[in-house]
Amino acid sequence: MAETGHIALVIAFSVAAFSAFISIAAVRFNSEKLLKSARIGILTVFGLYTLALVIILFSFFTKDFSLRIVAEHTSRDLSPVYTLSALYADKAGSMFFWGWLVSLFSAIMVSQNNINHRPVLPFALLVLAVLEVFFIALVTFVVNVFARHPSPPLDGFGLNPLLQNAGMLVHPPLLYLGFAAFGVVFALVIASLATGNIATEWNARIRTWTVFAWCTLGIGNLLGMWWSYNELGWGGYWAWDPVENAGLMPWLLGTAFLHSISMKRRRNYLQTWSFYLIVFTFAFTLLSPFITHGGIESPLHGFYGSPFPPYILAAILVVITGSLALLFIRRRNLQREDKPASLISREGAFLITNVVLVVLVFIMLLGTVLPGVVKAFGGTRIALDRTFFDRSCGPIMLALVFLMGVCPLLGWSRTAWHSVKRNLLYIIITIIIIAVIVLVTSVGNWYAVAAIICGVPLVTIFLEWYRGVKARFQARGENPVRAFWSLLTRNRARYGGFIVHIGIVLIALGIIGSSFYSIEKTETLNIGDSMNISDYRLSYSELVLKQDNQKVSAVASLDVIKNHRIAGTMHPSYNYWFSHNDHFAEVTVRTTPAEDLFVSLVWTGYDPGDKSSTFRVLVNPLIVWIWVGGGFMLLGGTIAFSAEERQ
Amino acid sequence: MVVGYLLYLSFGSSVNYYFTVSEFSAKGTEYNDSNVRVAGEIADGTIDWNAENLELRFDVTEGGDTLAVVYHGAKPSGFKVGSTILVEGKYDYDGIFRASQIIMKCPSKYEPAE
Repeated sequence: MAETGHIALVIAFSVAAFSAFISIAAVRFNSEKLLKSARIGILTVFGLYTLALVIILFSFFTKDFSLRIVAEHTSRDLSPVYTLSALYADKAGSMFFWGWLVSLFSAIMVSQNNINHRPVLPFALLVLAVLEVFFIALVTFVVNVFARHPSPPLDGFGLNPLLQNAGMLVHPPLLYLGFAAFGVVFALVIASLATGNIATEWNARIRTWTVFAWCTLGIGNLLGMWWSYNELGWGGYWAWDPVENAGLMPWLLGTAFLHSISMKRRRNYLQTWSFYLIVFTFAFTLLSPFITHGGIESPLHGFYGSPFPPYILAAILVVITGSLALLFIRRRNLQREDKPASLISREGAFLITNVVLVVLVFIMLLGTVLPGVVKAFGGTRIALDRTFFDRSCGPIMLALVFLMGVCPLLGWSRTAWHSVKRNLLYIIITIIIIAVIVLVTSVGNWYAVAAIICGVPLVTIFLEWYRGVKARFQARGENPVRAFWSLLTRNRARYGGFIVHIGIVLIALGIIGSSFYSIEKTETLNIGDSMNISDYRLSYSELVLKQDNQKVSAVASLDVIKNHRIAGTMHPSYNYWFSHNDHFAEVTVRTTPAEDLFVSLVWTGYDPGDKSSTFRVLVNPLIVWIWVGGGFMLLGGTIAFSAEERQ
Repeated sequence: MVVGYLLYLSFGSSVNYYFTVSEFSAKGTEYNDSNVRVAGEIADGTIDWNAENLELRFDVTEGGDTLAVVYHGAKPSGFKVGSTILVEGKYDYDGIFRASQIIMKCPSKYEPAE
């Protein structure tokens, strides 16, 4: 069985390599026949790769512990749902899955048989085929995912309890979907530069794939944060760890790319810049496994690596130098570009946003690799703690939110000052209202600044909507709901974008609230004791010991009293897992729109006679809005994604 | 310029020196007044957890040297003999390392799939 899988991958490797050569020949001889062979090749690779995937999933579900990957990440009693996450828990397994997505997307590309794509397609297929070759080589020749375990155990080692969580089931595949889709975008852009054929249709395709990649990667990152918050028990969701930065950096660059191509679509502008952005976005998606597989030492995550980093680093260098060389050779293919007439215009604001995003990524990269670089050059080992990132990246991110608010106020090319003045009035009114609310409720200075910065984009977005609806109402007599609906469906890219912006503002509010106003308390309580935090009183009423075949659990009952009224009972637990010979806390969170009450049972003696236990309790304001914002991001992204047919 | 200033501000207080226990034993006294991170394993039979006062005492060991650590706060998940950890804090003249933060390093098979 496993051998069949391995052979399928070896054949897929040859077919992918063959398709790459055929694509080159198809370009050289401008042959329809050769192009057809290359397409069949790409579809064959997908078929073989899918066969390998089915075989590996089958081995997971049948618990075939003679395979290394199955033995290391599953056990007999592992629930079938989490058996799926065992695939990405493995380093080679996750690259295998990513490679399969590349083959899937390539197959989708060749199936969309569009006559307009003919001149560009062979180049795109060439890039995609080379990508397939790379991924298959990693999981077949560098590490064989189908390798047998040297001494197959009777039962597997089991999946880390921390990974047995719904967020972890969806977080990695979403990241890989985003990474793989950015690979497709890269291939499309390279093809359009190489041929000089920049058909509108092709650009629409680039945009659609970018929206898809951006959205899945963004939601994937958010789910990682959600998992970290609900499962790891430290009460936070972001630690600026290299592994986390690795997922965020390509998304930020992708954000810049998405904005710069929407500019290119409207104006003949930012063409070379967009090209650089997608090259680096793609290079950063590869940097992510380089970091997570041990290329850079992470202070939080394991020492454990894989043999992949040198190959990935080589691939990154090839991608960057190859792309830049192509840009140099084909520089005449780029049309002459316009420059924005004034920085105080919508184009200007897009440009500034782009630059700020790139600066942000540069700082994150610096903070991420600096400790490794200093060490590599024989210096003292240093570590940057999170305050570095909080202080340097925090204000920049706030500036981005502010730019988001300013942008819709500005007109294209040159802003007429009188229109800004009128808009400014609304902004000033908003700021005054927010300032009054903040002063009356006296929540603090940082809140005031942040609330104002976040309030402005919300107001400018609603102003835009209001005006659009009003115009339709006056011109066609549509009722406001209908007018809003047609506005949304007729210009999905724009209005989808606005909805995403609302999501980003909500996320920013959640981050600000939970970062600056979180309260924490740790106390050891006996049955009957209670502790106070903020407006809450937690009284410890019971501890129940349970055992199943995976773990011994101590489940506490804490009655929550808020403002002298019983608000419910929470049941945090502390579990001893046999397979890992270790304790893991299962946190409970009580969520309200204003704040989360986060309770973690961090120690107990499992002693029926002495039930004293230590609880760590946090009150995290506004945190739920991060996840709600994620919902808006998904909704807006989906609307923008569906816009393609109307291009 | 603004970016440079931000970087300058951020760097100042965020850089921690980072040692293993044996490196720290060799030259750690030079860093008595600064915040450092020390990496090592939790030594057998040294964990002393006082739930009442939330005081955690233990030794970290590496390369034949040990360092006595005291920490105030909850025991982190996965804190057990043999775990590799980072302690961040200051070394006192009384020979005890006062940790302000404990960072767990996950050994291979517990590693999150990020």
